Amino acid sequence: MGAESDPNSLLDRLGMDKIGPIARRYFVSNGFDGALTGVGVTVGAYLTGVPDGFAVIKIGLGGAVGLTTSGVWSVWEIERAEMRAELHDIEDAMLTDLSETQIEREKTSTQVTNALMSGLGPLFGLVLPLTPFLFEDTALSLLQATILSVAVAVGVLFVFGAYMASISRQRWYIAGIRMGLAGIVVAIISIFLPG
Amino acid sequence: MAPLRRLVVDVLKPHEPPTLTFTQQIAETESVAGVNATLIELDKEVQNVKFTIEGESIDYDVIEEIIEDAGGTIHSVDQVVCGEYIVEDSPTPQD
Repeated sequence: MGAESDPNSLLDRLGMDKIGPIARRYFVSNGFDGALTGVGVTVGAYLTGVPDGFAVIKIGLGGAVGLTTSGVWSVWEIERAEMRAELHDIEDAMLTDLSETQIEREKTSTQVTNALMSGLGPLFGLVLPLTPFLFEDTALSLLQATILSVAVAVGVLFVFGAYMASISRQRWYIAGIRMGLAGIVVAIISIFLPG
Repeated sequence: MAPLRRLVVDVLKPHEPPTLTFTQQIAETESVAGVNATLIELDKEVQNVKFTIEGESIDYDVIEEIIEDAGGTIHSVDQVVCGEYIVEDSPTPQD
């Protein structure tokens, strides 16, 4: 089979085949958090009467820093503990020390990948919906930028859904709509929140 | 010293790296011409694999290093064939 006809070749070239299911789960789960936080922040910021788009970006970036750090740090510690537990189980069965072996190096590499993917998810999910605010005051009004931001967040959620569907053989547009709907629900709840 | 032409070792290894990768790593060693890996026993965390390694002049230390780096341990050396050519085990009346 030629490289052109192999549907996985692009993923292989990008190294996506090396990303395990756990890293994917962290990426999508934390990306989902990031996108929904983005919707809450942008709608909330608009409704409280922020002066300009730059203020929304600053608030959003603050949230992105928090969520990304949380994603990387928590998963690093969780995966470190899990890795050590798994290694101890194998060491008990093998009756030998496995430090500095291939198995320990591979588990450390998985730990790094999982922590990075866990941080990239919210960064991607939160920063992308903030981009319309860069054009506030030049091409868009604050209301238009907020609406466009919610649309971008819904789009990001749709992509997450479609991606998960593509690996689980579901209909991509149904899964995409199911995920995207969450963004609209958060936007509506934010509008009707007291105050 | 007479060249080592065949080595049969009993190895205890974790499930990861898989036997395929493990065997390929041994086969890629310069002194090795071919390897046979046969699963002897499978446990929850570990597996027992018999490796039959052949070559013109096998470097035992390198083989041991690769096995240990991959997380395995050599439990026993079950057969060693050294010399000008490979001498097969001959049956005796007691067998």
